Amino acid sequence: MLSFSLKSATLGAGLAVAASLGAMSQAAADTEITFYHYQSGGNYEALRAILDEFEAQNEDVDVKDIYAQSQQITAEVQAALAAGRPVDVATVIGKNIVYFLNNTDAVDLVEASQGDTAWLDGYLPNFLDLGRDGDAVYAIPHAYGTPMMYYNKDIFTQAGLDPETPPTTWAEFLDTGKTITEKTGKPGGAHLHASMGDYGTMVMVTNAGATYLNSDGTEAQFDSPEGIAALQNWQDMAKNGMMPIATDRDWSGAFMGGQMGMYITSSAALRAAVAASEDKFELGVGNYPLFGDAPRRVNNSGAALMLYSKDAEKQAASMALLRFISQKEIANRWSRASGYMPVIQDPLSDPAMQEYVDAFPFVTPVIEQMSQTVPTNVWPAKGTLEAQTEVRAMLDELWAAKRPASEIVPEAVAKVNAALAANK
Amino acid sequence: MNIVRGAAPVRAAPLQAAPITKRVRATALVPWLYLAPTLLLLGVFTYWPLLQTAYLSLIDWNLNPSQPAEFVGLENYGRVTGSTLFQAALLNTLIYIGASIPLKVLLPIPVAVFLWSMGQRGHLYRAILFMPTLISFVVVGIAFLWILNPIFGYAKVIFAELGLRFPNLLADPDAAIWVIIGISTWKVLGFNVLIYLAGLASINKEFIEAMRMDGAGDVTIFRRLIWPLLTPTLTFVAISTIIFTMQQVFTPIDLMTEGGPSNSTTNLFYMIYQYSFVTFDVGGGAAGTMILFGFLMIMAFVQFRVLDRRAQYQQ
Repeated sequence: MLSFSLKSATLGAGLAVAASLGAMSQAAADTEITFYHYQSGGNYEALRAILDEFEAQNEDVDVKDIYAQSQQITAEVQAALAAGRPVDVATVIGKNIVYFLNNTDAVDLVEASQGDTAWLDGYLPNFLDLGRDGDAVYAIPHAYGTPMMYYNKDIFTQAGLDPETPPTTWAEFLDTGKTITEKTGKPGGAHLHASMGDYGTMVMVTNAGATYLNSDGTEAQFDSPEGIAALQNWQDMAKNGMMPIATDRDWSGAFMGGQMGMYITSSAALRAAVAASEDKFELGVGNYPLFGDAPRRVNNSGAALMLYSKDAEKQAASMALLRFISQKEIANRWSRASGYMPVIQDPLSDPAMQEYVDAFPFVTPVIEQMSQTVPTNVWPAKGTLEAQTEVRAMLDELWAAKRPASEIVPEAVAKVNAALAANK
Repeated sequence: MNIVRGAAPVRAAPLQAAPITKRVRATALVPWLYLAPTLLLLGVFTYWPLLQTAYLSLIDWNLNPSQPAEFVGLENYGRVTGSTLFQAALLNTLIYIGASIPLKVLLPIPVAVFLWSMGQRGHLYRAILFMPTLISFVVVGIAFLWILNPIFGYAKVIFAELGLRFPNLLADPDAAIWVIIGISTWKVLGFNVLIYLAGLASINKEFIEAMRMDGAGDVTIFRRLIWPLLTPTLTFVAISTIIFTMQQVFTPIDLMTEGGPSNSTTNLFYMIYQYSFVTFDVGGGAAGTMILFGFLMIMAFVQFRVLDRRAQYQQ
């Protein structure tokens, strides 16, 4: 009896091994492509669902997703490329795209399309500009954000302000913030500065009509009257007491905790703000404030996708994936699930998207700012750290308010340009 | 017997010479075999990367295998040392080191002597003092961020209850570095106290009794007996603290200030991290690393020359 069981078990194990080997050889026949990303939690589930759907429609392709934190994704991709590990589709943070264009062997998506570039036409042209180099396109938008205003309607009411009429200009933003601080004792408002003070400064001066960096990123130009006026505005926020000098994390924590009147930050925080405000305070949202008569121009935040496959089979599979996620229905679904900006033109022509906006009106400023988005400015390889450090030091000095912006900004721009001189 | 005794060496000599030589050779190899794992690990993970970093510091290359590396000589060094960021990082590094000597190297000595003198009763205090060492620096950094938060921090709330205004320490370029140094000291103090206690445990207490019988007071006992016998431990604590203090402050810098405000809290370690992994300036990062390596070598050399000579290794 025992002998029979042993034989059966051995036979069973043998058959199982044979079956798994068969499965392995089948799997080995599939084309596996890698997809580097920084999505986690619910965003990852949404992304994986889209990748699974792609795999179901393309049975011979496996998409292996590789995660790294958003702060580490660029280094992770860079390390993988340097080590010769397979990278097919990579998520690259917007401000690093030009570095990647200049320093890695990214594939031109137009060339890889082999004449069929219709899939790229769906994207808003201004969203493709970040990865455009002449006729070539090296990056497609995927996880874009836009700066928008969040405000606490309860604090507005406490300060005697109309909670349904949020400020629309910077002058109103400053007046409102000052009133909130004076009437409630709470911080009136703040504007994100982001790592090294770069993104916040870029958005503020760009929206005021100034040029932050020249097109090849080798010269700072925000010491123009518009740039100085915008940064004087930021100094005034610190001077009039509405903005305690703190980190983005402190400001975000204060706003989410119902302790700050207004906060301007990325639309990527929208889901978190809605969740944080539940049962705590009534959340309001608005567009990024206008600076005087200048039309709204806001730089995108977030990341785009770049293609690195060299192997013909893998490149074909990767292109199929990029085409798949560029479909309006898929791209809009990703936007709804993740909270990132829609990236395909006229998103509201998609009934599902219209239904979503009707049910979740907080997203309205994001949709409205799609056409007002300009590419995030990018830095060259050399001197970037020194330049960004100077920008951050400029903000610290501005907020200390010992000298006006008209003195601080030109000096800072000169230092930034000295740091960037190595690129000329 | 004589024949055997006399014949044996004559015939045995050529026969035994070969095994002895082989044995001597084998014996000579033994130390190298013992050392081999360490040498291999040091070679692969320390010296080879060091040589590679030195090479990277002299070229303009982005690690992309398909792009050629361009030899640029000392250009990367000139670029890094010429930046205001490096100057601030170097100055702050010296401040971190300078502050660590009284706070992390010397302050634990009286604490350790006090606990040592308490005998068994000191164990509880020892555990309390050692506790911060066990907490992750990330947790410590986040906890202090909550305490010092200028909008809703505990310190602000408590001061407000007392009718006082708590200063925004992390936004003040003159104060922020001392916050980092203070947190780092709090974290490492208990560990260094423990090392000193280990050093004190090796001191023969009969010497103290003998000195007391000769009429020596506490100060004399400390100055003439404890201090000299503690100098080997002091040397170790000083060298390890100074070298590791720059690494220890990396986490609070990254978490709490990102080197600001106005570069007032950055140091050479953090600067290298920014060059290499924030802006991907490989040449700048490698040049900064080699400068830091030279800096640490000089620091270690000076310390050995100054401290090791004064250490008393015999009781």
